[in-house]
Amino acid sequence: MNLVFSILADGLFAAIAAIGFAVISNPPKKAVLVAALLAAIGHALRFFLLKNTNLDIATATIIAAFSIGMLSIYFAKIIRCPAEVFSFPSLLPMIPGMFAYKTILALMKFLKCKDELLLQGLIVDVFRNGLTTIFILFSLVIGVSIPLFVFHKQSFMMTRHLKVDKK
Amino acid sequence: MGVENRKNKVEIQEISDLLQDFATSLMGAGTHTSRVDHIVSRIADTFGYDLNMTIFQKTVMMTITDQHDTTVRNTSVKRIKPLALNFKIVSELSKLSWDIYDQKLSLTESRERYIEIVSAPRMSRWWVLVLVACANASFCRLFSGDGIAMALVFAGTLVGFFIRQEMMNRHLNHLLVFIVSSFVASMIAGIDYFYGLGSTPDIALATSVLYLIPGVPLINSAIDLIEGHVVVGITRLVNAGILIICIALGLLSTLMILGIDNL
Repeated sequence: MNLVFSILADGLFAAIAAIGFAVISNPPKKAVLVAALLAAIGHALRFFLLKNTNLDIATATIIAAFSIGMLSIYFAKIIRCPAEVFSFPSLLPMIPGMFAYKTILALMKFLKCKDELLLQGLIVDVFRNGLTTIFILFSLVIGVSIPLFVFHKQSFMMTRHLKVDKK
Repeated sequence: MGVENRKNKVEIQEISDLLQDFATSLMGAGTHTSRVDHIVSRIADTFGYDLNMTIFQKTVMMTITDQHDTTVRNTSVKRIKPLALNFKIVSELSKLSWDIYDQKLSLTESRERYIEIVSAPRMSRWWVLVLVACANASFCRLFSGDGIAMALVFAGTLVGFFIRQEMMNRHLNHLLVFIVSSFVASMIAGIDYFYGLGSTPDIALATSVLYLIPGVPLINSAIDLIEGHVVVGITRLVNAGILIICIALGLLSTLMILGIDNL
């Protein structure tokens, strides 16, 4: 019960975050709502995977981003809007900000540190956090773009009015 | 013969102008390169022209050739104005291109609808301001920040984003804008650390600047790279990287001023 609640809360906050980051790029109104929904599903899924399986964060991210990509193709057909208009904002809550921050912090300490033994630990910190940041970023992009490439032709036809033969 | 030639010349120039406007608006609004290519080629095809184009981050070059008479051709280069991200334009122009293709809209009608789309007003900046602040606060919660951290991140983002909007309106150098707004936002979130208010001051500091991360250019860049538009992809990546360095600079200044070594 507690787990269900925390997954729902995670989804809710991801949705709010997606709405805010989406409006920066001035999308159509319907797309904002879809972005919120997809962000909630994606982020909650990643949260669930991290808590309940022993997947690492990059793999969990790629699975979540892939689901967002697949759903975005489906919703693009319904609201007739290019898929990336709402799939991009819905990825933003998963951007690895915390890891990027830790990388910078470790770098700063590395520059100041004079103790040989501590230096080695710091360089590990820099690399661990920096690599995690990069891997998560790539997982996000690859996960969301696989569906776009698989449905390549369709992804360019989402916005078409299908009434050609109505004449 | 002479009259027809002149008419052709006027028509091909008008079409070329429309295609250039489409391509530059789409690139400016922030879509990946292959979508621009598809949309513009589709319109050129509708009017009976073949299109070849090269897209860079700052310019679009294209040659259109009559499908029946290859001596009728027009080459043009146009600069891409740096615009704010605008997905509404991407979505609407994409729809318009299909309408032109399916309903065989005339050139004047296409032009009118294009102007209507690009001059549509953006969402009110105050709404954006509040929503971005809420978003960043809930972002803080996602990284398991506590209530005080959330409140400070909300305040920091509100002020930081307001400063960014004001500086952008005054057309200041965008790198400076990023450094200053990241510095201000992280300074406000740094109150948590300075006065030891909450239990998660590091999360407040880390998430306070995340509203500036250029997420959309980063994703676009990766898609361009994968699809083979390597030059545009790298340009976008470098631009986004420079912005991220600026954000880090702002944050670093805060960390140095507050003297954070032991978080």
